[in-house]
Amino acid sequence: MKKVLLVLAALSVLCSSLLFAGGTKDAKAATGTKVINLWSFTDEVPKMMDKYKQLNPDFDYEVKVTIVATTDGAYQPALDQALVAGGKDAPDLYTAESAFVLKYTQGDMADYAAAYKDLGINVDKLLRDAAIAQYTVDIGSNSRGLVGLGYQATGGAFIYRRSLAKQAWGTDDPKTVQSKIGPGWDKFLAAAAELKAKGIGIVSGDGDVWHAVEGASQKGWIVDGKLYIDPDREAFLDISKALKDKGYHNDTQDWTDAWFADMKGIGPQPIFGYFGPAWLINYVMAGNSGGTKPGEGTFGDWAVCQPPAGFFWGGTWLIANKNSPVKEAVGKFIEWVTLDSSNTGLQYFWANGTLNGPGGTKDVVASGTVMAKSDGKLDFLGGQNMFDAFIPAGDFATGRNKTQYDEGINSIWRGQVREYTSGTKTRAQAIADFKKQVADNLGIN
Amino acid sequence: MRTKIKEMSPIRKVIVYTVCIFLIVLSIFPFYTMFINATRGTYEIQSNSISLIPSTFAVSNWNVLMNKNFNPLIGFVNSLIISCGVTVLAVYFSSLTAYGLVAYDWKLRKPFFTFIMAILMIPAQVSIIGFFQFMYSLGLTNNFLPLILPAIASPATVFFMRQYLLGTLSIDIVNCARIDGSGEFRTFNQIVLPIMQPALATQAIFAFVGSWNSLFLPLVMLTDRTKYTMPIMVNLLRGDIYRTEYGSVYLALSLTVLPLFIVYFLLSRYIIEGVALGALKE
Amino acid sequence: MGNKSVSYAKWGYIFSLPFMLVFLFFSLYPIIYTAMLGFTDLQGAGRRTFEFLANPLENYKLVLTNESFITSLKNTGLIWFLNFIPQMLLALLLTSWFTNQRFKIKGQGMFKVLMYMPNIITAATIAFLFRNLFGYPKGPINDLFMMLGLIEKPIYFWMSAGWSRGIIAFIQFWMWYGNTMIVLIAGVMGIDPTIFEAAEIDGASSVQTFFRITLPSLRTILLFTLVTSLIGGLQMFDIPLLYNLGGPDQKTLTASVWIYNQAFSGRYFYNRASAASMVLFAIIVVLASIVFYILRDKDAQKINRDRKAFKKYARQLQKEAGK
Repeated sequence: MKKVLLVLAALSVLCSSLLFAGGTKDAKAATGTKVINLWSFTDEVPKMMDKYKQLNPDFDYEVKVTIVATTDGAYQPALDQALVAGGKDAPDLYTAESAFVLKYTQGDMADYAAAYKDLGINVDKLLRDAAIAQYTVDIGSNSRGLVGLGYQATGGAFIYRRSLAKQAWGTDDPKTVQSKIGPGWDKFLAAAAELKAKGIGIVSGDGDVWHAVEGASQKGWIVDGKLYIDPDREAFLDISKALKDKGYHNDTQDWTDAWFADMKGIGPQPIFGYFGPAWLINYVMAGNSGGTKPGEGTFGDWAVCQPPAGFFWGGTWLIANKNSPVKEAVGKFIEWVTLDSSNTGLQYFWANGTLNGPGGTKDVVASGTVMAKSDGKLDFLGGQNMFDAFIPAGDFATGRNKTQYDEGINSIWRGQVREYTSGTKTRAQAIADFKKQVADNLGIN
Repeated sequence: MRTKIKEMSPIRKVIVYTVCIFLIVLSIFPFYTMFINATRGTYEIQSNSISLIPSTFAVSNWNVLMNKNFNPLIGFVNSLIISCGVTVLAVYFSSLTAYGLVAYDWKLRKPFFTFIMAILMIPAQVSIIGFFQFMYSLGLTNNFLPLILPAIASPATVFFMRQYLLGTLSIDIVNCARIDGSGEFRTFNQIVLPIMQPALATQAIFAFVGSWNSLFLPLVMLTDRTKYTMPIMVNLLRGDIYRTEYGSVYLALSLTVLPLFIVYFLLSRYIIEGVALGALKE
Repeated sequence: MGNKSVSYAKWGYIFSLPFMLVFLFFSLYPIIYTAMLGFTDLQGAGRRTFEFLANPLENYKLVLTNESFITSLKNTGLIWFLNFIPQMLLALLLTSWFTNQRFKIKGQGMFKVLMYMPNIITAATIAFLFRNLFGYPKGPINDLFMMLGLIEKPIYFWMSAGWSRGIIAFIQFWMWYGNTMIVLIAGVMGIDPTIFEAAEIDGASSVQTFFRITLPSLRTILLFTLVTSLIGGLQMFDIPLLYNLGGPDQKTLTASVWIYNQAFSGRYFYNRASAASMVLFAIIVVLASIVFYILRDKDAQKINRDRKAFKKYARQLQKEAGK
C-alpha cells in the first residue's frame, strides 16, 4: 500500500515539476502586450479568429481562448467573475448569446462593454453600408452607443414539408402556404384543423410555437419594473391547449429524442413544420432528416415561408471589454466579423458556407448587403433560396420585448403552461403559480 | 468436539446470486450505453439517445475530438497530476490528523473534532465563490496548487479515518512501539499506516474519483488551454445546445472514465482481499 | 515520576497542524465571507462593494418565508428518505453476504468492483441518460412498457411529480449504494477476525453473527455512513438540477438548487443565497447532532464520566494532603 502511495507521490512530483517548467515559460511569453483573451461558449468565434489571422498575417497577436459551454449554466458566472476581477487575464473580447445578451449590452454587466466607436470603428457609415438588420443593432446598443453586434441574423421562418403541403392543399408553393397558416394564430389553428383532417400534425410540440409567440408580443415580461404578462403571451396557454387537446401535435419537448425524430417524420403522426431561423435548418434539421441528399429521408422535402408572427431566436453578439489594453486590435477583428460587407469580410464567407473551404454550412447573416450578393440555395429545401424567406423575416424581428431575465422567466412560464395543458392545473392556477414562482425565485413582482 | 458448520441453504444461494447479477447489470448498463454512444453519430444520438447496438462513427467522433484545438493527452496528464496530488495529500494528511485525534489526549481534541464536523456540514457551492475570488486576487489562476493543496484539509476523509481508527486501533501497539524507542512520527508511518490499509485504499479511490470528475472549480480557475483537465475538455464539446456534438462528447466521456476503472482495479485488491488485521496478531 | 501523558499530548496538536493551516488559508476566508454576505445587500452581477443592512436579519426573514424555499426543504427531505433507506438496507445486506465467513460467494471480487462503478460516473452524464431513458412521448422505458403491454399510451414521466422524485431518488441510490457498501466492508475488515472465529466455534449462524457481532462493531463506521449520507443528502444538488432543473413545477427542487438559482439564475441574489446557506447549515448541524447522540458510545461515555469524577476526587485528596 505504501508503495502505491509512494509511486503516486513521486509521479505527481515529477509531472508537476515538468509542467511547472513549461508553465513558467508560457507565463513569460504571455505577459507581452500582444495578447487577446477571447471568451466564448462555442468554438465558432475562435475559428473565425483563426481565419482572420490567416487572412491577415501581420495581425500577430496571440489569442488565448476560453470556452465555457452554456449548457450547464456555467458560462455566465465564469465570465462575470473574470470581468469583475479584471487584470491581465480578464477577457478582452467576449461573446453573448441572445438568451442573455441584454445583460451584457444594456443590463447589469453593460458597464464593461466598450462602445464600438471607441474601438476605432466608423460605426454609422459601416452600419449603413452593410444594411445590418435593425434588431441586432437595437439589442446591442445602449446610451453610450453601439456596444455589441451579432454576425448572424436569426429571424425566424416557418419550415414546412413540401410533400405534406401537397397532400393537404395540392401545392407546396411558399406564398400559398404562408397565406394558409397566417398571419395570426387563428388562421394557424384553422390550418392545423385542415391538416389534422388529413392525419398530419402541424407542429411537433408546443415549444415550436412558443418562440414565435414570445418574439411577436407587444411588450416584454417586465414593464415599469413589474412582472407583466402580455396578452399575446397569455394566449399561448390557449394555443398550446388547443394544440394538445385536438391532437395537432405529437406533444414533444424541444431538444428531446421525439422532437428530433419528427424531423425524419417517424413520429406517431407526420409533422408539417417547424419554426426556426436558418441555423435550425443547417445545424439541426439537415442532420436529423435521415439523409444527406434529396430523396433520402426527408432531405429535400422542405421549404420555408413567413411565419404567422415574426420573431427571432438565437444569435451571438460580440462585445469588447472597455478596459482592454488591446482595444484597437479587438476592434479590427470585430469590424471584420460584424460590419465588413465586402467579399473578404466574415459575413460573406459565413453566408456562403466558405469559411473553411467550399461546401460548408450556409447561414443567414446580419448584413443585408452581403445576403443580396450571396447564394442561399439549399438542396435541403429542394433548391429554394433560403434568403428569400429569411431576409424579410429579419425585418420582423425585434428586441423591444426582451429583458435580461427572460431565460429564467421563460423557463418558469413554459413549465406552468405544460402543467395547464396536461390537465394538472386550471388556467388561473397556472398563471397564479407562475407569478408566485417568478416572485420567489427572481424577486420580480 | 466438532461442531457442524451450517451451510447456506441452496435457495438462499440462488437468491444471493440472482440479486447480485441483477445489480451488476443495473450498474453496468449506463456505462454500456455510454460506450455504445461513443461509436454513434451525433444525429443518430439526437433522435434515439439510448441504443444497445454500436454504430460506425467512432473514427469520425475521434477526429472531431482531435480537431478541437486542444490535445486530449495534455488534458489527461493534467487530470492525472491534480488527481494524484489530491489523493496522496488527502489520504496521508487525513490519516495523520485522525491519528492525532484518536491516539492522543489533548485539551482541544473534542472541540477540534467538532470543528471538523462543522466544516463538513457547510454546503459546498457556497464557499466556492469566495474561494475563487480569493484566488483571483492572489493571482493564483491557471495554477494547479490551489486545486491540489486544499486537499490537505479534507474533513470527510478525516472523519472516516477517525471512525476507522476508533474501531480498530489499540493503543497497546503504540505503547509497544514507544517502548521500543520509536518516535511518534515513525510509529505513525511504519506501524499505524499499514494497519489502515483498507481505509487508505477506500478513501484513495474516493478522493481520486472525486478529483478526477470535478468540473466546476477547475473550469473557472484554469483558463489556459494547456492546463485544461479532462472534464473541462468534455465540456468544451458541449458548446451551445444546437452545436453539441454528442458522439464526440460520449467518446470523450468514455476516455475520461477509463483511467478511473484502472485506478479502481488497482486499489480494490486491498479492500477485497481479506487482509488480516487483528491488531495484536502474531 | 514525570507526567508522561503531557509530552505526548503535544503530538496531537502537531499532527493536526497541517490540516488547520491549510484550512485557515484556503477555506476560512471564503466561509466567513459567505456568512457575512448573509447580512448585506450584495445583489446583482458585477458588484464588488456592499453594505450591511440596517435590519441584519432581513435576508433571513425573506428566505424563511419564501414558499419556494420551504418547498425545497420538504423535497430535499422526501427525496433523501426515498434514497437513503433502500440504499442503507441494500448496502448492509450486501456487506453481510460478502463478508460471510462461511459462504464465499464466487466472483465476489468482480461483484464488488462492478457495484462500485456507478459512483465513478459524473452526475451530468447520468442525469442526462436517465432523462432520455424516461423520454416522452418516445423513450426506451415508454417503448418497453408499451411493448410489454403494461400501458397503452406513453407516460409523461417528466411531468409526474411522483415519477420524477422517484427517479431522482433512484439515481442517487444507484450512484451511492456501491460506495456505502465498500465503506461498510472496509469497516468489517477492521474487526478482529478472532472474534469471528470464536463465534463460529460457538455455533452462531450467519444471521446471528451479523446482528450480534458485525453490526455493533461497525458502530463507528455506521455513524460515518449515516452522517455523511445525511449531509450529502441535504445538500443534494447535481442530479435534481441536471435532470429537470428542479421541475416539474418545483416538485424536485432541493434546497441547494434553490440556493444556486438565487445566486446564479438571473438576479444574483448573493445575499439571499448566503443567508439560505446558513439556514441549511443550521438544519444539517441539528440533524447530524441528533444522529451523533443516538449512536454515541454509551460505555465510553460512562467511563469518561467516571474518570473525570475520579480525577476530581484525586485532586481534592491532594489538596487536603498538601494543606
